[in-house]
Amino acid sequence: MSVRQPRQARGADVLARVALGLYPPAWRARHGDEVRALLEDSGAGVRAAVSLAWHALPAWAWPARHLHDRPGRMRASLATAGIAWALLAGLAAVFVQLAQAQGSSQALTLARHPVIQWSYWVFDGAVIIAVLAVAAGGVPLWLRMFRDARAARRPRELACLLAPVAVPAVYLAASTAIVGLVRQPAARVVPWQPRPVADLANGMIGPWWFLALVVAGFAAAVVSAAGPGLALRRLRPDGPAVVLAARAAGLAAAAMALAGAASIVAAVGLYRWAPADAGYHEGWQLAVYLPAVLLAAGVALVSAARGIRAAREPAVA
Amino acid sequence: MRDRLDRWADPPLLVLASLAEEPRHGYAITQDIAETMGVRLSAGTLYAVISRLESRGLIEPLESNDRRRPYRLTAAGARELAEQSERMHQVSSVAQRRLRANYGWARA
Repeated sequence: MSVRQPRQARGADVLARVALGLYPPAWRARHGDEVRALLEDSGAGVRAAVSLAWHALPAWAWPARHLHDRPGRMRASLATAGIAWALLAGLAAVFVQLAQAQGSSQALTLARHPVIQWSYWVFDGAVIIAVLAVAAGGVPLWLRMFRDARAARRPRELACLLAPVAVPAVYLAASTAIVGLVRQPAARVVPWQPRPVADLANGMIGPWWFLALVVAGFAAAVVSAAGPGLALRRLRPDGPAVVLAARAAGLAAAAMALAGAASIVAAVGLYRWAPADAGYHEGWQLAVYLPAVLLAAGVALVSAARGIRAAREPAVA
Repeated sequence: MRDRLDRWADPPLLVLASLAEEPRHGYAITQDIAETMGVRLSAGTLYAVISRLESRGLIEPLESNDRRRPYRLTAAGARELAEQSERMHQVSSVAQRRLRANYGWARA
């Protein structure tokens, strides 16, 4: 008994740490110690850890009001939804590159399949709506923070706010230069189609270069979105611009999730119906792409829903 | 799929009922509910309920010297518990009366 007790306590502590790690930081700060004490007292096991993990999602989706102020919840939701949205945008760019932008005759024929054609249309429409929503909600808030940071002479916050402009510009310049250096003769280029930066299927750059550019692209997307998120935390803006941004983030996340769903339908359609030599039968690509889209869309939707709920609450006078 | 007929055992009500006796911390609440009401609340359920009840002002935390923070029922929590238990009592009375009348049986 005396030997088992410390081991149980250690086990409970490990389980508690793992399960509590899934909760929002404010929730952990408020209840974390109490839950650890409860697990130690009750000799917690797998059941308690599973129960804690199960209730972590509602704690994110429906945060307790006494743990956060309303503007704080909107800002935190915007920051998280922004990063998830940027990841979805990166995944959408990969999808465009590997599916829609392919100029081979097989790809063009497949694009006329009713399911794939409709998926492409839904994808295109949803991406346009998502970008417009980000512009409508994000630009006014960005301008407001930019003015505040400039007036207060806060260079770090200004740098964070410039990340969505500067980082993609640097990435595009660097990737264009790299593609120019490592480009191989194109095997097949459709004359009327604009040549993509990195066209794996047409043999412009090798697969490892393409993979490196994709990874760098996702890193650039995350840094671009994290910059304004950090500025939100430091400048703590409030008022109608934050409410508008929270509502627009909901529309942008929903539209991007729809685009992700449409791309999954198209990707599965290509996998099923493409001829054997068309290059769409790499199972590992689907195995990576599907969970990545679902995870990013889930995080974007949950965070955006939190922000909208906070935006709908009456402001405290 | 089996229908669940024990949904009356709503965890928030169980926690309110437990705290109606005296302030208790998390482990003491689970122990009391298990012993007096026969329901085992898991850690995740308990703290989801505590967070929700505190957010609605039905319970409040007390100062604590260690990590086991006790909670007590507020006046609003007592009113809510009174309303809900009255409703449950009505259901219980009607059910027992009809069981006695039509089946000749009802638990005391």
